Amino acid sequence: MNKLRTGAFHTGMILLSLLWLGPVLWVVVMSTRSFDDIAAHGVGSLPRSFTLDTYRQAWTDGGELRALINSMLVTVPSVALSLGLAATAAFALSRFRIPGRRTILLLMLAGNLLPPQILLIPVAKFSELTGLYDTLWALIAVQVGFGLGFYTFVLHGFMRDLPGEIQEAATIDGAGTAQIFTKVMLPLTRPALAALGALSFTWIFNDLLWAITVLRTDDNMPVTPALLALQGQFVSSWNVIAAGTVIAAVPTVAVFLRFQRHFVSGLALGAVK
Amino acid sequence: MSDFDPGRRRFLGHLGLAGLGALGASSFLSACASSASGPTSNGSGAVTIQSNLSSPQAKAAMEKLIETFNAQGKGTASLNTIASETFRTQLPTYLTSANPPDLYTWYAGSVANDYASKNLLLDVSDVWKSLDDYPQSLRTLSTDASGKQIFVPMNNYWWGFFYRKSNFAKWGVQEPKTWTEFLALCETLKSKGVPPIGIGLGDTPWVASAWFDYLNIRINGAPFHRELLAGKQRFDDPKVKAVFTRWREALPYFDPKGKAYPFQEATTALLAGKTGMFLIGTFFADAAPKDALGDLDFFRFPIIDPAVPLAEEAPTDGFFASAKTANPTGTKALLSYLSGVEAQEAYVKASSGIVLPANPRAKASDSPLVAKGKAMLDEAKELTQFFNRDSSDALQPTADTALTKFIDKPDQIDAILREWQAGAEKVFKG
Repeated sequence: MNKLRTGAFHTGMILLSLLWLGPVLWVVVMSTRSFDDIAAHGVGSLPRSFTLDTYRQAWTDGGELRALINSMLVTVPSVALSLGLAATAAFALSRFRIPGRRTILLLMLAGNLLPPQILLIPVAKFSELTGLYDTLWALIAVQVGFGLGFYTFVLHGFMRDLPGEIQEAATIDGAGTAQIFTKVMLPLTRPALAALGALSFTWIFNDLLWAITVLRTDDNMPVTPALLALQGQFVSSWNVIAAGTVIAAVPTVAVFLRFQRHFVSGLALGAVK
Repeated sequence: MSDFDPGRRRFLGHLGLAGLGALGASSFLSACASSASGPTSNGSGAVTIQSNLSSPQAKAAMEKLIETFNAQGKGTASLNTIASETFRTQLPTYLTSANPPDLYTWYAGSVANDYASKNLLLDVSDVWKSLDDYPQSLRTLSTDASGKQIFVPMNNYWWGFFYRKSNFAKWGVQEPKTWTEFLALCETLKSKGVPPIGIGLGDTPWVASAWFDYLNIRINGAPFHRELLAGKQRFDDPKVKAVFTRWREALPYFDPKGKAYPFQEATTALLAGKTGMFLIGTFFADAAPKDALGDLDFFRFPIIDPAVPLAEEAPTDGFFASAKTANPTGTKALLSYLSGVEAQEAYVKASSGIVLPANPRAKASDSPLVAKGKAMLDEAKELTQFFNRDSSDALQPTADTALTKFIDKPDQIDAILREWQAGAEKVFKG
């Protein structure tokens, strides 16, 4: 009976993971097919050809190197800046009796509840007014601005639960506010920061909407719009797009693998007292 | 909870902080903005072209043209290729921005006139002075309501019933000329177990508009068609209903699978012999494997009423320029170059698409298929663009809804047309 249950469990789980991995495998297989194969037999058919030239096409013709560099130029500062600002804000809001702190926090969070679509035109016009339109600065500013509310909210919840005695002890030992923040609070918040870092990296790296809203020069485009640009007006080389997608997935996968440990512990932290 | 309460923080009053919070995201935006670099003005005087030709061949062809133009020393230009789908949604933003790109790839006809009526487009009548050998139809198409030219055509293509020569030979059938012959052909193919008419409406429902356009210009003529799309006629008019009465005769011959997949897969089905023929624009050939191209042929949409002047769909692509361009002279120089014989022939050669150059002196590629397409368009008394190009992108969804519904439930046509008229009225008012 027990064996049967274990067997059923494994079969079920294998099927479930196949369901998840299926689309990924499909994209990888498609990226190795030739255009004529796809054109003749459709995207859903079994592969009848094998080529790795699609990766070369995505890399050179698709300009993916330039796009990946742009993506990193946007993502890394955005993640660092938004987490830094959010941590400072969360520290102030959670550890000091600032008047109206709940209102501030709720307002920051409320900003996140607005659907970003209704802000597309204001953001485009605003970036033009500030002269940042079509620069990576604009994209960084937008990403930081829109992420800040949520990150602050999460970090606030995390910091609030840290025991106040630690902070008192540090104060008695003569630490100033800045020192308490950098030497005591930040190290203690590390799991949450790592988890948020991995999350925000993925979000910002995979963002398409803001990139096409504030950028218009192809040399400035990060990797998601660059992938879109591989599509033709009517007909697209799906194999090259698939290859480009596989390449574009590498950085996020790498970040997730690197921060996976923190991610799990960060989520579970505080679950058991 | 043991919140710290350092007294010096108190000076930040309730109001001040609430205000800061209300600014929320935007306050950080401006903070970052003020610290970063200033406007990126284009000091070099290079003309920027915003291009939606993002398919690899077309992109390469455009890059080559710009390279040649720069080498000629009449000015400098830089090409900016944007994903076509992104381009479509962002074009109004580009045109209305304070520092817009100079030149844009886009469509001729009412879409361009729409922007012209908002004073967003540059008057390019100067360029047209040297294009006096262009056919009158293209000149009219590029002229806005106030009588000035605002568009420079680059090329056009045609729509038709495409089929594989080898398959038609295998089935022993000929190209039909009239609607009766067409229906007889459908019947023959059906009796051989082949779904006669391929279509691809999943993800690309606009393909059905070609059927509506063609039936309307064959039955009611191109002038009525244009008036209808401009809101001067009604969709619940009996003349429009007559279009659907004809369409219903052909409806049983449509490939039932066509509703599920996009036209690209309908192309695959046609090439594999799973459908007999396919009403589509020449761009579909980009989705065909190279070895199948030589086997492709087409025939014109069958004649229904010989008394109606012959009209064909010939969507025209080209360029318009922003009225706010900082360098109108350079922009016009580039337009003159692009409309020249040399550039048009180079583009046709480098891009794999089956397109006809707009310049009458430029030679199209010398395949029999292209020659046949050119002859068909030359024979036509009138050219229409396509549903969305003759009306607007806003009206297209109303057509998609109505036509998809009709294909599903043809007997509800009266209700469908009433709804279509109501939807169209909303668009024309808005």
